Amino acid sequence: LENNKKVLVIDDEAHIRRVVEVKLKKHGYDVCMASDGEQGLEMIKRDLPDVVITDIMMPKIDGKTLCEMTNGFKKQRPFLTIVTTCRISNDEEKWVKHFQDTMFMEKPFSPAKLIEYVDNYCRRQP
Amino acid sequence: MSHSLILFEDFLSSLSKLVGFHFQLRDGDKVLFHSNGDQALPALSEEMKELATRIVDGECFEYSSLQGKYDLFGVPLRGDGDVTGCLIAYGATTGNEPGMTHNPKKLPVEEMKSFLSRLSGLVQHSSAFQSEMDNVSEELSQSFEDIYMYSRIATQIKTLKFSRSMLLGFIEEILSAMRVDFAFAKLPDRKGFDVQTFDESMTEKISDLFRFSENVIGAVPQDAIGLEDNYFIVNDSRIEAGFGALHPDPYRFLMVEIRHNEDFYGWLGLLSFNMKEIFRRSELRLMKSLAEQIGVVIANTDLYADLERLVINVVKSLVQAIEAKDIYTSGHSERVSEYCMLMAERLELEPELKKVLYWASVLHDVGKIGISENILNKPGRLNDEEYSDIKAHPQKAHAILQPLDHLAASLPAILHHHERYDGKGYPDGLSERNIPLLARVIAVADTFDAITSTRAYRPARSWQEAVEILDEVAGTQLDPEMVDVFKEVLRKDLKKDLESRESPRMAVQAR
Repeated sequence: LENNKKVLVIDDEAHIRRVVEVKLKKHGYDVCMASDGEQGLEMIKRDLPDVVITDIMMPKIDGKTLCEMTNGFKKQRPFLTIVTTCRISNDEEKWVKHFQDTMFMEKPFSPAKLIEYVDNYCRRQP
Repeated sequence: MSHSLILFEDFLSSLSKLVGFHFQLRDGDKVLFHSNGDQALPALSEEMKELATRIVDGECFEYSSLQGKYDLFGVPLRGDGDVTGCLIAYGATTGNEPGMTHNPKKLPVEEMKSFLSRLSGLVQHSSAFQSEMDNVSEELSQSFEDIYMYSRIATQIKTLKFSRSMLLGFIEEILSAMRVDFAFAKLPDRKGFDVQTFDESMTEKISDLFRFSENVIGAVPQDAIGLEDNYFIVNDSRIEAGFGALHPDPYRFLMVEIRHNEDFYGWLGLLSFNMKEIFRRSELRLMKSLAEQIGVVIANTDLYADLERLVINVVKSLVQAIEAKDIYTSGHSERVSEYCMLMAERLELEPELKKVLYWASVLHDVGKIGISENILNKPGRLNDEEYSDIKAHPQKAHAILQPLDHLAASLPAILHHHERYDGKGYPDGLSERNIPLLARVIAVADTFDAITSTRAYRPARSWQEAVEILDEVAGTQLDPEMVDVFKEVLRKDLKKDLESRESPRMAVQAR
């Protein structure tokens, strides 16, 4: 099962990266991983992923700032950003709407649902 | 195995450069890795193939020499105890052989055997470790699903009141989280609470899913293992009497009872035609705790209903106590609420809003409990002080009822039922649409009943007279729209009733 799509997973928690990695690989995705926002930003520039799955609360560059910094890239090369975090209050993730192809997923998330979102996006891309 | 070999490729390549001989990893005839790329001579490739067959068949170390120029050594690779492939090392014994680093020294067989055995041990260990890691990740991923499910359900549990849509929401979550074909809940003692949800493929297999779920529940043997712990599992319908007969295709079925303490409420069932998986202990545990949660919610809902009944009775006696103080207002609150309910019908209010109106109308005069009987029953005109006492009754009611959560929504209507449409009422002088709708409804009903009842300061008047008065004050005291609604109620619902009531009312008047 191969599909030539690359997914970048940015999370400072190793076990979450691991679970998402295994799931994605099982579904044929090429997976790269970063443990903080700064590393994540470098890899977005270098590896040109089709999907970025990022945590919000992370060392160095947080998820929201990362979205701000990378939203401009999407004009030339669109990719899906899935922002995941534990929701503390309602509607706090409203800001994702301001970014292109960016969606929110509450933690704890279902790995199966995550794959569904990634699949759905990638299926629509050439 | 092939997955973990990737890790070893770099290692074996480096090792090959250092020691001057090459490595090959094989799965039967298939070469998984070769540190010499495709450089090996055809004769050498042929020799390795044969060696591999000998290794796999004999499941032991093998050595061979090719034309005195090459030494070949190999050991089996095992995965899960079985031989799944082999690891071969070879090197040139003399001169410059093509594709080989010069290695004039003959390799000692016993040492190669021991080295390769250790190396294969490492490869196997790594491979086992890798697949163990994958399993753990898969388990972890499943735990994520469980946690996700718990978190979804937990937020729903927060709602105190149990409802059909809530139960349906539950089993829809369960269906997707548990990857089954059919999920249902049955609560035999509660009408309308049987819900089911299913994968589309189910409709092709079974025409009447409801019947099917009834039959499956019915097939659970009375003395089944697990029933003592409130569950039942059959992982293959073919081996369990009663289940195989229900459908030609094999399926698996899990059922947990919904209970709370000693009370039994019903069943939660999962069914799947996917026989590649079985119901796991963790899934059973999750289902059991979900059923427990549902049980708690149902029990809470029942308690809540009991509490509501209690509040209703307390409040009703409160109203009776007040009306007993005022000889002229006996039955007033009840009549007002009766009128209000009829108006609510005409206004097509939502059931929830009707309930709010009911309580507001029953309780609108509760504040009079704090007013002296002398004032309430005074025949003549009230002085300013007495009048301001009377005027305080909506706020008093508000203060009395505020601690009761059940009645929170009714409070605005109670507080404002003496506001006037022209803004000259009390307590806040609200006007027109600023007055809550329910308060405007109560004001009309309240006024009508006051006019048609005997009061300390005047006798009762007929309902025809009352209508004339309502028409006069529509637009000043009362909302004209509400007056119209009330007149329609009067024409269509109340006329007969009032006419039959005419005579006893006259008797009161004569007293």
